[in-house]
Amino acid sequence: MNEIMPVKNRYHTSAIVLHWFMALAVIVMLISGLYMANGDMPKSDQYKMYQLHKAGGMTMLWMICFRIAIRLIQPPPSLPADLSLTNKRVAKIGHLMLYAGLILLPISGWFMVSSSPFGLPTFVFVDWIKWPHIPWVSKNKFVETLSNTAHWILAYLMIVLITGHVAALIYHHKKHNINLLKRMWFRK
Amino acid sequence: MLKFANSNKKFCRRKSVAKTVFNLRFTVLLCLLCLIQNVVIASEIQANNNNGKLQFSGEHAGMVFTGEFLEWHASIILPPEKHALITASFNVASAKTGDATYDETLPEEDWFYVEKYPKSTFVSDTIVQNGAGYQVRGTLELRGKRQKIAFVLEDKGDVLEANFIVDRLAFDIGRESDVSAEWVSKDIKMSLLIDKP
Repeated sequence: MNEIMPVKNRYHTSAIVLHWFMALAVIVMLISGLYMANGDMPKSDQYKMYQLHKAGGMTMLWMICFRIAIRLIQPPPSLPADLSLTNKRVAKIGHLMLYAGLILLPISGWFMVSSSPFGLPTFVFVDWIKWPHIPWVSKNKFVETLSNTAHWILAYLMIVLITGHVAALIYHHKKHNINLLKRMWFRK
Repeated sequence: MLKFANSNKKFCRRKSVAKTVFNLRFTVLLCLLCLIQNVVIASEIQANNNNGKLQFSGEHAGMVFTGEFLEWHASIILPPEKHALITASFNVASAKTGDATYDETLPEEDWFYVEKYPKSTFVSDTIVQNGAGYQVRGTLELRGKRQKIAFVLEDKGDVLEANFIVDRLAFDIGRESDVSAEWVSKDIKMSLLIDKP
């Protein structure tokens, strides 16, 4: 029963699992995205990486949707009272931007894939899970360019946000002696 | 009176012999016609995906892919027949590679555009006997484009075999996606294998 009830000082277990899984996945996605677009590698590896990146992106989109659903059902614990109002506001804006980035990154990628001149389908790791293309944008150069630019900007923005997210954790630990990591870990 | 009767009998016999001869001639003629027809039928090879294989292969991202047309039909009359002719038609949508990404992409507008051009055809212009094979020249219609192609149809005893290259860009296949052939090779190798009857 305790598992499905809100826990006062920490996030719900399912939210914690998703958070860490997504943290790892987003780092893999960012590195793979930068490498497959700029790295020197055989065409076959580049092609395979693109397909995996697409599958990963669609999985990320589903995961962030679950994450939001969990957040709505199981509201997160309040921020520590020791934090100043400004810090709380910055934290909320930071979290909101992280959520927005995690939604918009795969969506911009989805638009890219759907409007790409290659028209390659997206299979989510297995042949029997085919993710559909967004209708009406097929081979649309304008949409492709726009979504491509947005995807890159969002990726760099996400790197900044993640850095800020981790920096804030360290800052509050060092400056205010508040261990925020406990809120996102399994032990109560 | 007896004389008249004998002459009538002779006349009837002659008539009967003439009828028999006519029947015999007719039968022989019929047999000859059948024989000729049989010869013509025997020299015409009906090939399809049950007694043959029509495969294609190329390179994508440096990786070799192979596929096969699973529905096709060809009618082949080879020299020394006077009216040597090869006609073939294949269902473009039946092209399968076994790779889900390719199989989903091939029917699309920029590639085979099967919605608009579901069928592809080949009609020979000339077939010349050439050693153990035949030099075939003809017109291939694919994705609404007609191009002259030539290939050697080798007679290998039990099978007829042909291997030739088709330039996909000559048929506007994948022109929008990859006109520079950076990802998908321009040359697609076609391979035809037919079991002889």
